[in-house]
Amino acid sequence: MGRSDADLVTQVRLGDLAAADQLLQRYLRSCRAVALAVTGNEADADDVCQDAFVAAIERIDDCRDPARFGGWLLQIVRNRARNALRHHRVRATEPLDDAAPDTKYSASAEAERNELSERLRAGLAQLPEAQREVVLLHDLEGWKHDEIAELLSLPPGTVRSHLHHARRRLRRILGEKDAEA
Amino acid sequence: MTDFEPIDFSPLEPERDPRRWAKVADTVRLRMEAALLQRRREPDTFAVLTVWARPILAAAVVALLVLGSTAVGMGSAGVSRASEARRLAYLAESSVVHGRTPTGAQVVKAIIGRGAR
Repeated sequence: MGRSDADLVTQVRLGDLAAADQLLQRYLRSCRAVALAVTGNEADADDVCQDAFVAAIERIDDCRDPARFGGWLLQIVRNRARNALRHHRVRATEPLDDAAPDTKYSASAEAERNELSERLRAGLAQLPEAQREVVLLHDLEGWKHDEIAELLSLPPGTVRSHLHHARRRLRRILGEKDAEA
Repeated sequence: MTDFEPIDFSPLEPERDPRRWAKVADTVRLRMEAALLQRRREPDTFAVLTVWARPILAAAVVALLVLGSTAVGMGSAGVSRASEARRLAYLAESSVVHGRTPTGAQVVKAIIGRGAR
């Protein structure tokens, strides 16, 4: 474990870019997971997590409890993602820039992956938002139950329950889709 | 497969396209750098107060001296007191304008009227 969030936040308040970079490495993926849980769209999640992280750094003085920076940051992400949804800025397709797709996958493998991600997004869309956040933070980002509990200000038992229900429901949805296919 | 096994979310993995994800992180880094540079340039509230405190304190001291000397000299030669007050007021004004604390010698000179300017 590196420096504590509280220590890094104190340094960021003094204008320390290296400390801000450590927070970025620690939380950017989680920001993206929460943004994805709310928007259901990867391109929007990328945009929202960028804007929210920069906003958090700009407003770092408003973080009343630096030891709970992660939870405060994710609340900013959640609010911004909901605003993005409200303003109908959700994109219908994934690409947001002119970057060429990674060529390490063949066209058919890429098509298969896109289909899989579409099915996962469709499955996630049928879950409550809290379950989406928990299952993405745990199964995609690798956070532990107690870490998620602290990050989302939820009792650990609730996190376990959300995770259990989210997985069961997702498997059923994905299984049904397999059967349809 | 049980509900204790993780769901395979690898198709939603942000680093599935590493260049794209690196671009996201780099963009955040650049914007953060600009925000932190701005933060380092802005003086904090305490620093601003410190800069203002000295001349204001000096002006308050001079004003007290003026009031005190006026009270002591009540009834004595009005012309002398008026010029003394003018010299002290000038000293107070110049210390506020230039942000310099007047020395004890300058205050005494302003009161007794020799070489005050």
